Amino acid sequence: MKLHKHSWALAFAALALVIAARQPLSAQNLDNSEILKPKPDSWPLYHGDYSGKRHSSLTQITPKNVNKLSVAWAFQTNQSFEIKSSPILVDGVLYFTVPDQIWAVDARSGHRIWHFSQPTKKGLHIGHRGVAMLKGWLYFTTTDAHLISLNAKDGTVRWTKEIADVDKGYWTTMSPLIVGNHVIVGVSGDFDNLAGFLRSFDAETGATQWQWDSTPPVGTPNSTTGGMTWMTGTYDPELNLIYWGTGNPTPVLNGKTRPGDDLYTCSIVALNPDTGKLAWGFSISPHDTHDWDAVETPVLVDADFHGQPRKMLMQASRNGYFFVLDRTNGKSLLTTPYGPTNWALGVDKEGHPIPNPDKEPSPDGRLIAPDEGGLTNYRAPSFDPKTGLFIVDAHPSYSIYFAKPADGAYGWAGADYGLWGKGVIDAIDYQTGKIRWTHDLGGNGSGAGVLTTDSGLTITGDGSGNVLALDTSNGKTLWHAGTGAGMESSPTTYELDGRQYILTGNGSLLFAWALPQ
Amino acid sequence: MKTFLGMQRFLAGLTLATAAGFFALWVIEPAVHAAGSGQAAVAPAAPAHAATPAEAGGLLFQQNCTFCHGRDAMGGETGPDLTRSQLVLGDKDGSKISEVIRNGRIEKKMPPFAFSDQQLASLVAFIRERVTAAAAMNGKRRGVEVADLQTGNAESGKQYFDGAGGCSKCHSPTGDLAGIATRFQGLRLEERMLYPRDVKSKVTVTLPNGQTVAGTLAYLDEFTVGLRDANDTYRSWATANVKFKVDSPVEAHAEQFPKYTDADIHNLMAYLQTLR
Repeated sequence: MKLHKHSWALAFAALALVIAARQPLSAQNLDNSEILKPKPDSWPLYHGDYSGKRHSSLTQITPKNVNKLSVAWAFQTNQSFEIKSSPILVDGVLYFTVPDQIWAVDARSGHRIWHFSQPTKKGLHIGHRGVAMLKGWLYFTTTDAHLISLNAKDGTVRWTKEIADVDKGYWTTMSPLIVGNHVIVGVSGDFDNLAGFLRSFDAETGATQWQWDSTPPVGTPNSTTGGMTWMTGTYDPELNLIYWGTGNPTPVLNGKTRPGDDLYTCSIVALNPDTGKLAWGFSISPHDTHDWDAVETPVLVDADFHGQPRKMLMQASRNGYFFVLDRTNGKSLLTTPYGPTNWALGVDKEGHPIPNPDKEPSPDGRLIAPDEGGLTNYRAPSFDPKTGLFIVDAHPSYSIYFAKPADGAYGWAGADYGLWGKGVIDAIDYQTGKIRWTHDLGGNGSGAGVLTTDSGLTITGDGSGNVLALDTSNGKTLWHAGTGAGMESSPTTYELDGRQYILTGNGSLLFAWALPQ
Repeated sequence: MKTFLGMQRFLAGLTLATAAGFFALWVIEPAVHAAGSGQAAVAPAAPAHAATPAEAGGLLFQQNCTFCHGRDAMGGETGPDLTRSQLVLGDKDGSKISEVIRNGRIEKKMPPFAFSDQQLASLVAFIRERVTAAAAMNGKRRGVEVADLQTGNAESGKQYFDGAGGCSKCHSPTGDLAGIATRFQGLRLEERMLYPRDVKSKVTVTLPNGQTVAGTLAYLDEFTVGLRDANDTYRSWATANVKFKVDSPVEAHAEQFPKYTDADIHNLMAYLQTLR
C-alpha cells in the first residue's frame, strides 16, 4: 500500500516536471533564438522568418489533398478596414492588426482573447502590416507615428515613444523588425519633402539606439528627400546585416530639383543592425520620377547562381525589374524586366536600369508601363527552393504621367492616371529571369501575396475574392474558395496539435483553412 | 469529485471572463461599426471640439482621403483633383458627393466609406472650401488643363488613325466618333481614346448539350462566367462546365499600348479634337 502511494506521488511529480519543462513557465514569450529558428508552430515575425522567402517546410497539406481544404475557423473583426497585416503566431496565440487596432486570437479556435483599440485623429489610415514581438512584449506602430510596446498577455500599454512628427507629414504602418534588442522601425510620408529613415529602439526601454537617414537633410541644395521605409526588411544573422528597401524620392513626379541618382531613394541598403551604419546600397530606380518605391521584400536566398554558390538577395521591384544581388557586397548578378516596361533605355553594366529622360512626366503627358501602383506592390512574393522559382503577384499595366512647372517642386508635384491593367501570378526562374509559368488572375487587376510550401503548393488569391492553391511546378489551380473580398495581405501557415493551418485575410475577415480532422 | 468542482470553477471563471470581455468590448470598440463589403474604411467619430463642419471634414479627409486625393484635395496618388471635378462643381446640395463617398467608385479603385450623414456633410463642407481656395490660386496647381494637351499635329494624327494605329478598323470620324470632341475634352478625351473603361464585352456560352447562349458579359473570374441575356436576365455557369468565348473589341486598345510613341498619342489627340 505504502509503496503504491509513493509510486503514484513520484509518478505525478515526474509528470508535472515533464509538463513544466515542455511548456515555458510564462507562455506568450518569444526569445531571439525562436525568431532565428522558427518552429513549425510559430510565425514569429511579419515574414515568418528573417529570410523573407515566405516558404514553409510544412507538408501536411499537399497537391493531392488540398482539394479537401476547408474553413477551420473564421475571425470576424466587425469593422471595415481591410486586413493588410500578416498575423504572427507565438505560443498558440495569433496577433494581427488594422490601423489603430490589434487583436489577440486563439489560433486553435479562432476566438478573441483580447482587443486593443486606440483611434488616432492624425496620420493616414491607409493600412497596417502587423505587430512584432520579443519576450512577452508586442511592438505596434501607430498611424500618428508612435511606437507602442504592449503586454502580449492582455494588450496593456507598457510605453509609447514618438517615431516621427505626424504634423510634418509622417505616418507609420509597418511591422517592426526585431534583431537582438533592436526594434527597427520605418516611416511613411510622400506628400511632403521629408527625409525617410530607419530608427532602432531599445526593446526594453524604448530609447533610441540609432537612426539611419535615407537621404541628405531636408533643405540640402540640388538634393532629394524621400526614401520612406514603410515595409519590413530582412536579416542575415551570419553577415549580421539587415536589408531594407526604400521608397521614392520627393518631389515625386518632378525630378528637376534633385538631379542625379537620388541616393538612397528607390534603393536596397544593407545596414549593421547594432549601429545603423551603411554597409552598401544599390539603386533600384536611379532618379525615379514615377513613385516606384523599392520597398518590396528583399528575399534572401543561399543557392547556386550559374554554377557558383552565392548568398543572394532578390527583389521583384515596383518599377518592373527583377533584381538578383550578391548580398555580401551589393553587386548585381541579374537585372531583367518581369513584365511590360517602357521607361528605361536599358540596364547599365552595374545592373541599374537607365531611366529614359524622355519618359519623365511631361506637361503633355507620357505613356508609362507599369502604372504608378507598379508591376508589383507590397503584397509579398515567395521563393520556392525546390523549383528555384520566385513567385510574385504582378500587375501588367499602362498609365499617363504629367508634370509641368506650375505643379511646383513640393510633394506630388504632378499627376498620373492609370489607364489599364490586369493581374497575374508570375513564376520567375531566378537564374535567368525567365517566367516559367503565368497564372492569369483576370482583369480585376490585383492579386494577393504569395506563400509556398515544401509539398509543392503556392497559396495566393485573385482580385475577385478567391483564395487559390496552385501547383508550384506549373501554376495550375488545385483548389479555390470564394471569400467575398480580395486578399490585401500575404498568407501565412503553421502547424498546431499536428494540424496544418493556412491563414488568409480577406476584407475584414481572417480565415484559417485546414484539412478536415 | 475533483473534476466536478474543477468544472464549476472553470465555468464560473468563464462566465466572469466573458462578462469582462463584453464590458471591455463596449468600452474599447470604435464608436462606428460599418456594415458592408469590407472595403469601407472605419470612420472615427468626429472630434468633439471641432469649430466648423469644414474643420471636422478636414480631419476625416486627412485620415481617409489624402492618399488618393492629396492633402489639399487637388489630386494625389491615383485620385483625381476634386477641385476640378464636374461632379463636385455641379453638386448643389452635396448629395452627389455624398453618394460617391458612400458607394465608392469600385471600377476606379475608390472604396466605399460608411460615414454618417453628419460626417458626409462635414466632408462636403471641406471639399467646397478647397474648391474656393483652389480658385484663388495662381499657378502652383496640379492637374491637366486642356491647353496642356495641344502638342500634337492633327494631320499626322489622321494618318495614324487610318494607318498604323488601326483605329479605322473599328471607328469612323463621321460615324461613332462624330462629335466626340464635343462630348469629351482634355484629359477625359485622352483617357477614353487610350482605353475606354465603361465598354461592355459580349460573350457566347456553349452548354454541354450544344445550346448556345449569347449576351453581355456581366461577371467573369476563373470559376464563374455570368451574362445578361437578350431579356436582360442574369445567368451564370461554372466555367468548368461550359465552353465560352468573350468578344472584347476594346482590348485592341490595350494591344496598342506597346506600339504607341508619345508623339502618336499627341497627334491622335489633335486629330480627335477636330471631330466636333
